Amino acid sequence: MQKVYVTAAAMTKVGRHFNLGFKELAYEVVERVIEESGGEAPDYLIVSSTLAALQCHQLDVSTIVAQALGLSGRRRIPSIRVETGESSGAAAVEIAVAMVRSGMAKKVLVVGFEKMTEYPSAKVNADYSKILDYELEVMRNVTPPNYAAMIMKDYMRRYGVSREDLTSWPVRMHENASRNPLAQLPFKISKDAVLKAQVISEPITLLDSFPLGDGAAALMIAGGDFIPPGSEGVEVLTTCSSTSTPLYLRDELASLPATASLRKVADAVLPSGWRKDAAVQVHDSYSIYGVLALEALGFAEPGQGYRVVEELEYLNPGGGLKARGHPIGATPIYGMCELYALMMEGFAGLSFSGSYGLVHSMSGPDYNSRLIILKR
Amino acid sequence: MKLSISIHWRRKETHYRLALTKCRACGRVSFGERKVCPYCGSKDVTTLIPSGTGTLLSYSVSYFRREGDEEFLPRITCLVKLDEGAIVPGELVDVDPDEVYIGMKVEAVLRRYSSDDPYGLIYYGLKFIPFLKG
Repeated sequence: MQKVYVTAAAMTKVGRHFNLGFKELAYEVVERVIEESGGEAPDYLIVSSTLAALQCHQLDVSTIVAQALGLSGRRRIPSIRVETGESSGAAAVEIAVAMVRSGMAKKVLVVGFEKMTEYPSAKVNADYSKILDYELEVMRNVTPPNYAAMIMKDYMRRYGVSREDLTSWPVRMHENASRNPLAQLPFKISKDAVLKAQVISEPITLLDSFPLGDGAAALMIAGGDFIPPGSEGVEVLTTCSSTSTPLYLRDELASLPATASLRKVADAVLPSGWRKDAAVQVHDSYSIYGVLALEALGFAEPGQGYRVVEELEYLNPGGGLKARGHPIGATPIYGMCELYALMMEGFAGLSFSGSYGLVHSMSGPDYNSRLIILKR
Repeated sequence: MKLSISIHWRRKETHYRLALTKCRACGRVSFGERKVCPYCGSKDVTTLIPSGTGTLLSYSVSYFRREGDEEFLPRITCLVKLDEGAIVPGELVDVDPDEVYIGMKVEAVLRRYSSDDPYGLIYYGLKFIPFLKG
């Protein structure tokens, strides 16, 4: 079995790129990754986009990206598109790692993109809501922030946590993003601003939610036998993923059962005490999910996650989905790029002395959850 | 045209009668017509049509804007525990948000879900209102 490494990474600034289509966004990051890889083309292309069919009117985006980027002609590089809702980018990495580890490919280029600003937000919101079950949830006018709101209410009631306590998450994310030049919202906010912001689905306000922004990010995933000694980059120790039941079938609202099941993999693969030696990216489309993800992964006991948000030094260093932004199909790849940068040379004003990196991603209220574990 | 006759019609027992799946193996009841029990995996299941009454388990007053539903905001999205034991996601209507409370007794009524405005199809289905019977 091949050891697998991330050997190059690139991302665009997240924002409203009205002058750039998905081809231009992908081009920007793919060119930089190929250049960082010594100009050599990959032998497989994996493209992640969640909303391409609905926002860009484009099917078979992996072929279209390969054609637009000059990978399809003389080189005839095979490609595939991956979509698993909000965790699509992590699923793309999962497949790339499996291909390289098995020997099916030596070098796989993973690119994630999303165009979130082609239409008014009401259409984007309607399309994004389809990560839930269209027939049983979406048609009945139930949307992702509604579920997050009910989970947040249940958490507050169950553990006696106040609405103000849960402002620790967005305040920290914006503080991190203020040091990340690629973040969509690179500025600090106050607790009061969170509480007084426009209500999305009470108790969730605008400042508990991710902004709509375009972006693209790319990685080169390569096998150890094919990398010159000394340029290995960051090793991918393992990837794992899980699915869970719809929220209305759960006995408990305030937990992330699929994510919790992945914690066992991390504990099995990593030495005891690994949490003190790790940087972590968790999925925080809404504040409560960031807090619950920390609890599910064992960084805090149930009901205590909001207390450790300020203590963890290497937590969502780029500002998380909340403040770096959530160009959906690219988001977990941004998480990978940020930890790669942190582990290689430092990132967003931080230098990292630890050994491990965890990228967590999920879709909706933990309908599927994925974890990528890195080591340097 | 965004709405489909067949997608809605195929699930008419769900949208018009809140059809549930009752598992003969583990005894649990789940929302939706299913071929497999989502709790224990048994295929020994049967469809159960509930009475339509239950209690409010959780809710949120939502201003989340989706194409076509701006005029209906805010919506009260909820989880209702039916008297038969299953939890159902949906909407609570005909009530002031300030008067809603967890544990409130509710019942299902037919309402409009969405429409292909201004001349297209209209989806109807069950939503919840405060319990009026008796």
